[in-house]
Amino acid sequence: MSSGTASSGFGNFEDIDALAGEYVLGTLSANARAAVEARMRDEPALRDAVQAWEARLLPLASLAPPADPSPALWSRIERTLGSVAAAAAAAPKAGQPARASGFASWWNNLQLWRGLAAGGFAAAALMVAVLVTRPAPTPQYMVVLVAPQDKSPGWVIQTTSSRQLSLVPLGTIEVPPQKTLQFWTKADQWRGPVSLGLVKQGQTLRIPIDKLPPLEPNQLFELTLEPENGSPIDRPTGPIQFIGRAVKVL
Amino acid sequence: MACARGDRQALQQLYQRESRYLLGVALRIVRQRQQAEDVLHDAFISIWQRAETFNPARGEGRGWIYSVVRNAALNMVRSGARQVDVSEDAAEAIDDQAALAAYATAADPFELRADLGRLEGCLGGLEPARRDCILYAYVEGCSHGEIAERLQTPLGTVKAWIQRGMRALRECMA
Repeated sequence: MSSGTASSGFGNFEDIDALAGEYVLGTLSANARAAVEARMRDEPALRDAVQAWEARLLPLASLAPPADPSPALWSRIERTLGSVAAAAAAAPKAGQPARASGFASWWNNLQLWRGLAAGGFAAAALMVAVLVTRPAPTPQYMVVLVAPQDKSPGWVIQTTSSRQLSLVPLGTIEVPPQKTLQFWTKADQWRGPVSLGLVKQGQTLRIPIDKLPPLEPNQLFELTLEPENGSPIDRPTGPIQFIGRAVKVL
Repeated sequence: MACARGDRQALQQLYQRESRYLLGVALRIVRQRQQAEDVLHDAFISIWQRAETFNPARGEGRGWIYSVVRNAALNMVRSGARQVDVSEDAAEAIDDQAALAAYATAADPFELRADLGRLEGCLGGLEPARRDCILYAYVEGCSHGEIAERLQTPLGTVKAWIQRGMRALRECMA
């Protein structure tokens, strides 16, 4: 019973309507929020209760004073959309055409494939999306993490600004109860992988770059399935869920 | 919604129309501009990806977009990006009587100036303390502990106020 285990963490809520209300209000802890989001996928009643609360409270959103986004934000969104569409187009199982034209040029770019093959690590599993539309001012790295079995892309890593690295989910990733995804990286010369932290379901993980050694071409990134609080030792213990290598984007 | 057809231009129009309001909502919750823009970025990617499964029959498109932004902002602050939480124990220890006295003299932090429709009447019917708890949570993204600190009120009291206030709102709007 998924609902039984999921609700044990916040047994205070007698009815799902109260739980849905506090979820929408925003007062639940990160864990309780994640549990509600997981339950909503299987429990239409909870989903309906959440939507009803969203509709009831929506007028309150108008109490926040408007704030104009910086002009660069839309281009940043477009850039990410480009890489997401490219990753979707690259998925072998996705029979859908790319949303925008122009992806053929990067897909056929031999240099990229050479960079990939040099990795020597399950080269077939690696798929890299590149942003061709907007030359970046400084070298940036791009990684698409794919599932080892079916090669479907699950995450994109971007250096969205010079100061941070983002691990962006491309869809909803199911994680078994009492398990979590842990993010690791290892450059070619390193002795072992370094943990970059635990991944919250459906959320972008952001890591300040200045806390990492400089990124290197071909650097390995992976997500492994670990116990709820992460690997008990200093290296991955569970199966690899997603994996990819960094490619420099000029 | 037009972007259910995968129309990038429609997404851009949506951005042009709503982004300043959506950023306002995110900024109030995460408090930092860069983080608020990160929230908006993630939310628009999510809107784009989920637009094809979005079912307009289930709710108004605009409301759904606000929910995506609020959830992204709340997930960011709840996962520790905004480090202003007081410990629950410390909040619990605040003296009840002194707290209530302090609250009674505090200025009303929310002016209900926007047109909130039916919700306004229902909020107006709540005791001011319960109403403010709900507004601090929804608009400012405050946790129970943060609200307790702001209102100088014990945590248990805040939790009870919110539960009762929400129940009253639901009944009022039924």
